[in-house]
Order: sequence, then C-alpha cells, then structure tokens
Amino acid sequence: MTSRIPLVVCLAAGLIMFLQYFSAHPVARGMFNQVNDWWQIIFAFTLFVGVAAFINNSLKAILRGKERLFKTVSLLGLIGMPFLAITGGTKIGSPFLWAFDNLQAPMQATVFSLLAFFVASASFRGFRARNLQATILLAAALIVLLGRMPITTYLSDALPELTYWVQDYPSMAARRAILIGIGLGSMTTALRVILGLERTYLRWQ
Amino acid sequence: MNSQRTRWAIFASLFALMVISYTITLKWKIPTSPYIQKSYEFINSLPPSSVVIVSFDHEASSLPEIQPISQIILRHLFSRNQRIIGMSLFAEGTAIGYQTLNKLANEYGKKYGEDYVFLGFKPQHIAAILGMGESIKQVFPQDYLGNYSTEIPIMQGVENYQQIAAVISLADGDRTVQWIEYTGKKHGLKILGGFTAAMITTYDPYLSSGQLYSAIGGIVGAAEYEGILGLPGKGNRALLSQTAAHLFIVLLVIVGNIAYFRKRRGEK
Repeated sequence: MTSRIPLVVCLAAGLIMFLQYFSAHPVARGMFNQVNDWWQIIFAFTLFVGVAAFINNSLKAILRGKERLFKTVSLLGLIGMPFLAITGGTKIGSPFLWAFDNLQAPMQATVFSLLAFFVASASFRGFRARNLQATILLAAALIVLLGRMPITTYLSDALPELTYWVQDYPSMAARRAILIGIGLGSMTTALRVILGLERTYLRWQ
Repeated sequence: MNSQRTRWAIFASLFALMVISYTITLKWKIPTSPYIQKSYEFINSLPPSSVVIVSFDHEASSLPEIQPISQIILRHLFSRNQRIIGMSLFAEGTAIGYQTLNKLANEYGKKYGEDYVFLGFKPQHIAAILGMGESIKQVFPQDYLGNYSTEIPIMQGVENYQQIAAVISLADGDRTVQWIEYTGKKHGLKILGGFTAAMITTYDPYLSSGQLYSAIGGIVGAAEYEGILGLPGKGNRALLSQTAAHLFIVLLVIVGNIAYFRKRRGEK
C-alpha cells in the first residue's frame, strides 16, 4: 500500500499536468499557476540545501586542516556577499555591486580565460593526425576555425562557404540526431515514470 | 626542449600576443553574416515603443564575450526607442543585467520604469518561463529594486507574452533552448539569441528550423553588429586579439603535427 500511494500520486500528477496543457479553462490555468509557484518554491529551498552542504563540507575541511586558506576565503565570500547585499542594498554604487564587479566577475572571467591557454597547449600536444578519423576531425576543426575568422574573408570567399557547409550538413546532422535521441529518450522516461514502470525514485523498491 | 618548458613557452607567447594585439586599435571592415543582418532588420522593423524582453542568462565568467553583444543589442533597441524588460534566469546575471541596462539607458537618456525596467532573477528557469506565459507580474511581483510590478509604468498593459514583441536571450549555456521550447511555438514569440562562440553551434539546428529567429555569436558577431550600426565598441576592439589567438592555435596545430610526423618517421 505504501508503495502504491506515490505511484498513484505520480500518475495523477503526470496526467493532470499533461492534459492541462491543452486546456484554456480557468480551473486548468489556475491549477497550472499553483503548481508552477510550488515548483519555484521547492527549487528555492534546494538552494538552501546546496548552501548548507557547502558550509558543512568547508567547515569539515577547515577542521581537518585541508585546504584551510581556500575554504576559509570561499566561506567568507559566501557570508560576505549576502551581508553586503542586506546591509548596503544592491543598487548602483552599493558595496555589493562593487564587490561583484571588482572581485567576483574578474575572478570568474580569469578562471574561464585560462581555458585559452590550455586549448593552446593541448592543440600543440594532442591534436594530431594519428589516423583517418583524427585527420578528418583535425581538418574540420581547422576549416571552421579559419573560416570563422574575419581575416580570411579578405583572402577568399571559399573558406567561409566551406565553413558554413561543414556546420550546415555534417555537424548539423550529428546534432539533430543527438537532439532527436534526447527528445525520444526524455518522452520514454517520462511515460515510464507516469505509468509506474520506472520506480527507481522509490528508493526501497 | 622538455614538455614543461614547451608549455611555458606556449603560455608566455599566447599571453604576449594577446596583450600586444589588444593594445592595437584596428577598424575592421567585416562582412555581415546572414543571421546578424536578420537580427538587425528585425529590431529595425519593430514599431517604436514595442516591449522586448532581454534576458541575461549568463554568468560572470563569460562576461568579456557576452557583454559586447548585450551592449550593442541594447544600444540598437534604445536608439529605436523600444521599451525593454530586463531579467535573468541566472543569479549572477542579475547584477550584470541591472548594471548593463542602467549604463546603456543613461547613454540614451532613458528613464527607469518608463522606458526600461529590470525585474531581477527567478529560480527554476522553466517554471519562470512557463509562468510568464500566464502572467509576468505574478512571476515577478516586484522588480529588482523592490517596486511593485503593478505600479511600474512600463508594465501597464503588459500581462503576458501576448504583449511582448520578442525575447532576446543572452546566454553562455543552453538557457535559450528553454525559451525556444516553452515560449517560441506555444506563444508564437520570436526568440533571438546572443551566445558565446563556443555555444553558437549548439543552436544551429534551432536556427535552421526557424525556432530560433536569429543569433549573434561571440566577439565576431558583436563586431559585425557594431559594424552595421557604425558604433565600434568592445567587439571590434577584442576582435584582433581573438583572431591573433586563433591564428596562433592554428600555427601550434601545424607545428605539433610536423613534429609528430618527424618523430614517427625517425622511429621507423
């Protein structure tokens, strides 16, 4: 009985949410809005869970003396940003926006831009024409990289056109295949959950 | 040269190349690609005072690449006297969106609340996108500054997507996919995108099918758009460094492969 209740709830919720999509009736719209509000509220609470887990892990690491400096700085950041927002507001000129512009944004952009250096190093050390597949990949990458550069249009129109061809045909075909596969897989999984065939979310099953 | 030295030589060369090329100001004459032209013509075709949602769906890490796109798009919208509702589906996009919108609005003498508003961030992006189809004011009862949406002049007469001319999603990930899937066809809304160069190919199938109306990709896209408007900005400035870095990578691939084949021949 205890395992049937969640299955019935799941079936009812799945069917109702599916059917309401096709209805403009005020009851259906009102119900949709209610469910949508709850969805956002539940998601907001998951943020608290994330913050609590982060604090817990950081404190444990600090107590063990593992990466003490980094963990302390990240904890200070976690406490400092909400503190600045609550005490000084979030308007233009506030300490919160100052910290965001001068600390958080540059640090994140720096970490992200390091990728360029790793890409450069990897392109020299790893991007080799070892076999036919690797050669095709390498040729396609070079065509697209060169063809997307504005400088190549001064030399010839052929390379940008070839780039568009690579993107519009072989690349697009692969992407569409992946997207259609994901779509069909999602629908199948959703149907299996709604119909009670997929029960892994019921942990004790 | 050992591998550690090689790595450091590559890092140092790339860094020097980027710094030097960034100090050089070059006015590029870049040919406009079809989707940039389409975005430009679409914004030009909007009647004045149309309401456009600009969603800052990106994080601070991609700011250097997304900001040139968001700035030129906002410049175009403000210069055409369109009204803008700013928002974000990423917590970090909130501070970025609010500041970018304010800065550009000040440039064009636009008034907060009348010509533009920033609604802020909502958690659970799919629920937010779906909910806005029913009522934008219900999803965002207050704006970023705490003003009630019902009392903001620009929000008068704006109930849901029916009153919105287009959504422009500035994303460094796949947030725009949700805009396409949950608003594009269902509400007949035009979705335009501004993406990092790494993400632009992800959206190719949507562009090809017309589900995504048009897109501006990376620094090149921003520079092309700046070229049409005749307002060279951050895109144009960063283009030389990006091109230099790309050419450097191509050179490294070629040199690396020559070294590899030489070594293989030596082993035989």
